Amino acid sequence: MDAPNALEHHPHAPPPTDPDPPGPPSPPPTAAATATDPLNNPYASLNDLSHELSSLQELATRGSWRSILDKVARARTNHLLTKPHEHLTYLSFHLIALTKLRRFADAVAELDSLDSDLDSSNYHYQSYPHHYPNITGSMVPFVLRWLHAELPAKLGNRQETLDRFYTLLHFVRSKLSDSSNLSHFCVELWKKREVFVINTIISHHLSHKEFVICLALIKDLIGKSEGSSSEDKAALLSKLGYVQMQFGDLEGAKATFSAIEGLVSEGKGGVEMENLVSRNKALLYIVGRDYVSAVREYDVCIERDGGDAVAINNKALCLMYLRDLSDSIKVLENALERVPTATLNETIVVNLCSMYELAYVNHSDIKRTLSNWISRVAPDDFDASSTRI
Amino acid sequence: MSGTQAAPHSLAFRVMRLCKPTFHVETPLRFDPFDLLTGEDLLNDPVAAQHLPRLLGSQSINSKSTESDLTYRSRFLLQDPYDAVGLSGLLVLPQSFGAIYLGETFCSYVSINNSSNFEARDIVIKAEIQTERQRILLLDTSKTPVESIRAGGRYDFIVEHDVKELGPHTLVCTALYSDADVERKYLPQFFKFIVANPLSVRTKVRVVKETTFLEACLENHTKSNLYMDQVEFEPAQHWSATLLKADDHHSGNDALTREIFKTPPILIRSGGGIHNYLYQLKTSALESAQMKVEGSNILGKLQITWRTNLGEPGRLQTQQILGSPITRKEIELQAVEVPSVIILEKPFTVHLNLTNQTDRMLGPFEVWLSQSDSHDEKVVMVNGLQTIVLPHVEAFSSTDFQLNFIAMKLGVQKISGITVFDTKEKKIHDPLPDLEVCYLYLGGLVSTLNIFVDSD
Repeated sequence: MDAPNALEHHPHAPPPTDPDPPGPPSPPPTAAATATDPLNNPYASLNDLSHELSSLQELATRGSWRSILDKVARARTNHLLTKPHEHLTYLSFHLIALTKLRRFADAVAELDSLDSDLDSSNYHYQSYPHHYPNITGSMVPFVLRWLHAELPAKLGNRQETLDRFYTLLHFVRSKLSDSSNLSHFCVELWKKREVFVINTIISHHLSHKEFVICLALIKDLIGKSEGSSSEDKAALLSKLGYVQMQFGDLEGAKATFSAIEGLVSEGKGGVEMENLVSRNKALLYIVGRDYVSAVREYDVCIERDGGDAVAINNKALCLMYLRDLSDSIKVLENALERVPTATLNETIVVNLCSMYELAYVNHSDIKRTLSNWISRVAPDDFDASSTRI
Repeated sequence: MSGTQAAPHSLAFRVMRLCKPTFHVETPLRFDPFDLLTGEDLLNDPVAAQHLPRLLGSQSINSKSTESDLTYRSRFLLQDPYDAVGLSGLLVLPQSFGAIYLGETFCSYVSINNSSNFEARDIVIKAEIQTERQRILLLDTSKTPVESIRAGGRYDFIVEHDVKELGPHTLVCTALYSDADVERKYLPQFFKFIVANPLSVRTKVRVVKETTFLEACLENHTKSNLYMDQVEFEPAQHWSATLLKADDHHSGNDALTREIFKTPPILIRSGGGIHNYLYQLKTSALESAQMKVEGSNILGKLQITWRTNLGEPGRLQTQQILGSPITRKEIELQAVEVPSVIILEKPFTVHLNLTNQTDRMLGPFEVWLSQSDSHDEKVVMVNGLQTIVLPHVEAFSSTDFQLNFIAMKLGVQKISGITVFDTKEKKIHDPLPDLEVCYLYLGGLVSTLNIFVDSD
């Protein structure tokens, strides 16, 4: 169905064209008007993009996903969303919140209840010319496509997710191959999305230890990364090194990490890059069982960046392999207390609880103390089952 | 507590297997602001393209410094594109004991906790591995007992043991100590595990002319993928071995990819995956048939090193791999010439050669075609003398003779049962019964001869 009126049926879909929209005070601008008028920037703040988008974004960065669910519900009930694309933006935040809170069935149900599929012209700017004069193309936020592919795996259907991601990859690639009508910036965005989808596919194969295909996909990405920054190239090669280490190809990992060091001298450096190189070096020490040198490398990282969670976590593990369980616990406890927003993640909590179980015969007390602290400080999406209480 | 006279222990052992950690992998829920805050094609609009990059760029993670950032934005926004792989380099401790296999190293963190309110003193700690066959001591502090473990304190150690036996193993940890009570207390604790076989190796040996080929099929019985770090064939004395590999096709676009992806890694899938290795073996000494030793033929053995997560190694070697048994034959019988056209019920002559492969004179011989006792019709009949007499044959020399046959059946046929009888030693030289193959016109043992019989 091509008529915009088809959207009426869906409670969360954009409303039918309203002759007198109560939307933003200024009418949608034309290119000519703003090109020469710096004072009339239609995108001065996030709220210009969508109703109260600043607030949504703020809540998301604080991990207040329950508040986001409330906010979306209120906006829908009180009909606060006036433009078609706002419904899709709110839908996206809603789905992300449900997924973050592990309410996967609810997320799938909501996505399934959309009347049209994401390629329908109901979601094209040009279907609503008075809302979006002179704008063409799809108003679907790309995350909706990504979530549509990711959610089946969360409900146990991994094969469906893989199929959808490979289909999505094909979709992105066909956009790129037919890019004559896209602006340069748009093309760059779609290339980023291609990399995003491939990365997600790699993570799924990696979770299932399908290493050979991960290597093939990473090799493909390396080929595409010719024009990337040194930092991005280094990040990608590091992933390759970690995959090689994960399945045991130590010689391969060493070669990969040397290639990264070669890149660093080309690039500008910066704390991020320096710490990446140091952490990679530390990993080589770990596989060589030289935990003392690994700890030394991680200390250098922490000196440069007190919030380097990977360095802190891995240093604690090295201390354990050095028979120093007490200090390994201290490192993690101190880090959680000092820089919780950087270090409060489920993996660090799992490691700390493993250490507690080893260190204390009656470890439930100390784990409960940790759990109580987490519930006060953690974001809504923190997985409390990581304490294994 | 069972309520017996034994006082409760102040100390307790806590044990955690300490194999190498693994990388944490998880598909993250982290996004690029451009994929969430706008429609996917909005940047097509020149106005949007002019202003949005600046606006949305300010939302990205890199624009805020880490130290002052008190939000959980790193759980929501991607920092670099490859964060989406979900492989940050965070290591995770082993979460369960897991499976343990022959050839691996058992490593464990052992912590003795004093959960009482009293000090424990003069602690003699022992740790050993008990198997069906032996006890292996890993740690013994009898000579220098641990002086004290305070109330609430711990004493830690790490033990390691290369696993060389299959089946049940027990890590036995014992502590002999004094606490507030008068008598010394003895605390034994037992931690059991079972060692299984990680790999099975099936071999096939084939001899083609002068070369022996060894095919080894490795099957992975473990729950992990095994990275085959090294699989080497160590040949026995007088043998040399070369690994035969298929050509590698490298589609590396640039030097970096080609360098990194030089040799594709050999990964054998968990739970039944296999990989085949093919070796070409040659005898190094200048040997002729006379030098072959009777009995079994030892080719060598395979040394296998595999790795799992973070390079955790395992090592095994196979038993001696045997080639085909070689029996020294005293007599070699070969068909030298067979007519190319053999007509049904018409006589034909086969020229044969008998070689004495020993260092003494053998013979005289009688040669005949033994009758099979099956109900089948005879394929050929001997035409003329049913038994041929051959004179002595000198050491290492040969004699030629002929046998005359009449073909009784059409088509491709086998002549079997040519028997050579040494009249002096009263011995029938029976060619090996399990050799079915016969090469026409080539050497090789002949008890069967393939011929093609045509009609007129």
